Amino acid sequence: MGFGQFLAAPEIKLKIVTYRDVFQNAAQESSRFGEEYEKLSAIIKLDPRDISRLSITENDTVIVKNSYGRVVVTAQRSGYEDAHPGIAYMVNSPWSNALVPDKTSGTGVPKFKDFEATAQSSKGGKVTGIREIF
Amino acid sequence: MEIYQFLPKTNCKECGKATCMAFAVDLLGRKAKVDDCPPLVNEAKYKANYEKLSEMITPVGDVTETGLIVHENKCIGCGNCVVACPVNVANDPFGAGSGKAPTSDKVIFMVENGIVKARNVQECRRFGENKILCVACIDTCPTKAIEFV
Amino acid sequence: MSRKYYVCTGCALLCDDIEVETDNDVVTTVHAACRKGVARMKGCSNPMECTVGGEKADIDSAISMAATILRDAKNPLIFGHGNSSSEAQKKSIGLAKKIGAYIDDTSSFCQGPIIEAILQDKLKTCTLDDIRHKADVIIFWGADPSNSHPRHLSRYSYFPRGQERQRGWEEDRTAITIDIRRSETADICGDTRFYQIPMGGDAEFMEALVSALSNKVPKTSFDFDKKRILELGNVLKKAKFGVICVGLGLVYSLEQLEPLFTLMNKLNEVSSFHLMPMVGQYNMRGFNQNLFVETGYINRLKFNAETGETEHGNNYSVVEVLRDMSVDAALIIGSDPLSSLPLSIARYLAEIPLITIDPCNNLTATRSTVTIPCALGGVESGGTAVRMDGVEIELKKIIETNNPSDEEILTRITEAM
Repeated sequence: MGFGQFLAAPEIKLKIVTYRDVFQNAAQESSRFGEEYEKLSAIIKLDPRDISRLSITENDTVIVKNSYGRVVVTAQRSGYEDAHPGIAYMVNSPWSNALVPDKTSGTGVPKFKDFEATAQSSKGGKVTGIREIF
Repeated sequence: MEIYQFLPKTNCKECGKATCMAFAVDLLGRKAKVDDCPPLVNEAKYKANYEKLSEMITPVGDVTETGLIVHENKCIGCGNCVVACPVNVANDPFGAGSGKAPTSDKVIFMVENGIVKARNVQECRRFGENKILCVACIDTCPTKAIEFV
Repeated sequence: MSRKYYVCTGCALLCDDIEVETDNDVVTTVHAACRKGVARMKGCSNPMECTVGGEKADIDSAISMAATILRDAKNPLIFGHGNSSSEAQKKSIGLAKKIGAYIDDTSSFCQGPIIEAILQDKLKTCTLDDIRHKADVIIFWGADPSNSHPRHLSRYSYFPRGQERQRGWEEDRTAITIDIRRSETADICGDTRFYQIPMGGDAEFMEALVSALSNKVPKTSFDFDKKRILELGNVLKKAKFGVICVGLGLVYSLEQLEPLFTLMNKLNEVSSFHLMPMVGQYNMRGFNQNLFVETGYINRLKFNAETGETEHGNNYSVVEVLRDMSVDAALIIGSDPLSSLPLSIARYLAEIPLITIDPCNNLTATRSTVTIPCALGGVESGGTAVRMDGVEIELKKIIETNNPSDEEILTRITEAM
């Protein structure tokens, strides 16, 4: 057990954008409850600087939460050339939907592609399973 | 070179090459196989690197005569290469050339089970006497699944 | 050589050039479909079982229990329909009318606003075939078809030869991506044809484009390079047949559609531009059109069982009626709302009696009192569906199944009421 265990993990604020991924979509067609679908869905893509700010390394799990929900997902580098600190990407899935606000300001359409959440290291926590999201 | 980073970098010459760098060049050109490096295969400390390299480098058996490789794990089956390939267009103008499923056996690319398959590669414009450096299939691929080595 | 082509129901492109090989009523090989389409046509690995109260049941008792739940409900909701045949959708609308239910579909939080404007003739549109034959300037706005509709570019919008586009994409077509991130589609369009805007900046970028098209200085609060906007304006002005493919990125970013109307009007003053909604599920547009024919609305309704009259509006959207907790039972068909709705809303849905009709087990099914497996549309049952551009496509059955079609199940529930 490392010393880091006793330190509070730094928490950062993020704006989250959701997107579509053909591999994840194909996995969904095969099985919503399959390992492949979880592996390709329960992820958050971050700017390398945000990964440093979180004091984690790639493929560590992070707690992403806001007043609507909380999930543990795997942190990955986004791979985008242009820097985007403070902006993170999640593929459209029950994991991202756990964090989408239900407010629609009267339009009936929630903001699926623009919402805020905080992230911090889960210190080795397990990724939230699809059945545990509820 | 990324490949070099995963080699032992000891220049042990067991592969028959003078240096690890020379071996890396051959790996890239598919003139050597990852398995030709005994330390990588046998020593436990290189296990992760061995797996990584094996994943990076498609075995030589899968490389077609023109050096064309399809990275099947990256291919999404969009068919952009099927429709953009000038040979496909010439040999099947109303099928592949018009965006539809190929209707001719003479096409180079066709999608099967969601992954593009290359065939008739001798027809590829990068092949034969009057070869040219055509990149139609590479430039149109959204996931960089096609490579020439 | 005669070939037998089937239709892929993986997305609303409804590709109709798919050959399949089968063995013992199992699809073994699929030709020409993309990775996502193949996954759909080969079927899921976890089919749904017929259950009542979590126990295996025969279909007769499941149907009778479904009818009981709907009969006992004061304010039932019928929702889903994105992955349902048009025949099933019409039965669904009939059932909602009969029992005085709320009815809505996934377009309610997807492409609904755009489809509505198209059906009301507020936006100029065209078919996918028009795009293949004529389009010379194609804009993907907040859309990444390489992931959502993998064959969009190869079948229609960029790479194919068409009647007026004989020379290939490099000479004949200009494809442009406007998005907040460099998607794989943006990569194909190339650096000079990619316009990266900040989150929520779509409306402002539209206004700037209108300025550019009006020979004014295009200003944005995010200081987008004016020269590049002017360049883009010039490309659009010269278009003979332009198309804007509208993705969810744009739909979610616009609070109202006015900026899009203004841009389209301006574009059609200076050149000719059409709009293509990038509809996701294979028959979402079908539901919108079927309900429109019946009621004049595309979604978000409540029927009055006695008078057959409808109440409609944003307050009748699936999101609002669940947030209000005004629904006390729901029939879900061709959709998995517990996966696709915001969790805080899905939580309420999970608490009320649910009936799920689908070929595959999904999150909604795990919380349902009744689950009834149906045939997989376009594979195990035929029917019709409406492509993203409004063209009706006939689905053909490929293999046999013991499961009834979605239409048949709804017919039986309606009869049991």
